[in-house]
Amino acid sequence: MIRAERGELPNHFVIAAISLCVLLFCPVLNLHAADTGVQVQLDAKNAGPRAVENLTERGIVRDYRFAWTSMAQALQSNTLDPLAGAFSGDAMQWLRQTVASQQESGLTRRYLYQSHQLDVVFYAPEGDVMELHDTARYRLQIRDGNTTIHDEPVVVHYVVLMTPGADRWVIRQLQAVPQF
Amino acid sequence: MSRLLRFWAIIGLAGSFVGLCAAQDFHVPESAVAGEQASISTTGSSKGIFYLVGPGVSRRRDITLGEEVQLAPQDLRNAGDYLAIVCSGTCRSENFYVSASKPANLTFLVHPSRVPVAQGDAVSGVAFPFDQYHNLVLTTQNVSFQLTAKDALLWSRSVRTQNGVAWFRTTSGKSAGPVQVTASLDDLKTRRAVQQVASDPCNLRITGQRTSKGIIVRTEPVHDCAGNVVPDGTIVTFTATGTDGLGTVDAPIKQGVARAQIEAPGPTTISVASGVVMGNEIRVGAQP
Repeated sequence: MIRAERGELPNHFVIAAISLCVLLFCPVLNLHAADTGVQVQLDAKNAGPRAVENLTERGIVRDYRFAWTSMAQALQSNTLDPLAGAFSGDAMQWLRQTVASQQESGLTRRYLYQSHQLDVVFYAPEGDVMELHDTARYRLQIRDGNTTIHDEPVVVHYVVLMTPGADRWVIRQLQAVPQF
Repeated sequence: MSRLLRFWAIIGLAGSFVGLCAAQDFHVPESAVAGEQASISTTGSSKGIFYLVGPGVSRRRDITLGEEVQLAPQDLRNAGDYLAIVCSGTCRSENFYVSASKPANLTFLVHPSRVPVAQGDAVSGVAFPFDQYHNLVLTTQNVSFQLTAKDALLWSRSVRTQNGVAWFRTTSGKSAGPVQVTASLDDLKTRRAVQQVASDPCNLRITGQRTSKGIIVRTEPVHDCAGNVVPDGTIVTFTATGTDGLGTVDAPIKQGVARAQIEAPGPTTISVASGVVMGNEIRVGAQP
């Protein structure tokens, strides 16, 4: 009888610990989740009609990573400053709208643990515009004030248009689609 | 101790169970189009908070579960991935996509703005259809490209968009002058102009005569191989070889002809070139 009671104790303890962790501690841990940096990989072997030069590939990877880092900062802190230089045109327009809308509603969003697989699907003959497909994986957190209302790892497919600027490639269009 | 742990275990499990059961059921649109109204149906009867998070939008509003949540057209202007979240005790979320509306604009990039005639694959154009909210239209569209000069059709092709882009590349025409490049999609038309200029000179020929001030050389009217007048300002280089050595003079074409004066008292051989094109050679005797 005593053995039986002793045998039941660890089971109850484990169940209680797991349940309490689920109810109490996991959301708190999520609040402190930190981004580990944006990972970007580029595949340009299907690019056409123009081939992508090595230097251009490196530039795209560098500038796309910078753009997503900037966007994540802007939408987490609800400020436009980080967006300068990384976005242009329609992409910049909807990011401005997003920040303004978040400021109004009190929401913020976080893009954590980002990894992007970029495939170049079109590179204009004169090299003045490039279309890419991005299979993005990240953890999306949405907060209302200090309360996390959504926290989920997601895979999102983006159609991206980039154009060369004075010293970098900028994103002009960033449009999520259900599939490629 | 055992009873206390059992109590917490039951509370924990019950809490988890209640949390799961309290999740509200709702249905997002299966398909939505940019700028069009949509609705989300919910079940239940309690109060809740509805959130809409998407490209360009972040909304929060109180709702009564069981009623439909209307999504305004201005909240769905941007095509992309949207997240609907309903919180009532716990939060549940569903995502849905908004696709671009019908094409309303055709962005058209053409290169170059100035091109020599009869150059292979020298003119290219890229067209992107966008809807009225500036979303890239990814459904297949037929874009027609045309090159016209003085209302005469030089070239045309119909191209289906792939991944939201249609493009062409073609040889420049044979005659110098402005060429209109048009991309059209249904009623949408976008025009760009390309200036075709003469290509490299062809059959470059010079004549020369000695005068009291030296040798005066001039080209015949400079044309390209298609007969187009080479534009004024094009540089022609005259090279004189004589007893005094080698000398060169660069002269721009003016009104179709380039002229130069060369001071060389002895017998002189003069040749002419423009760019990579060589012309004829003349010999002029010594000054009497």
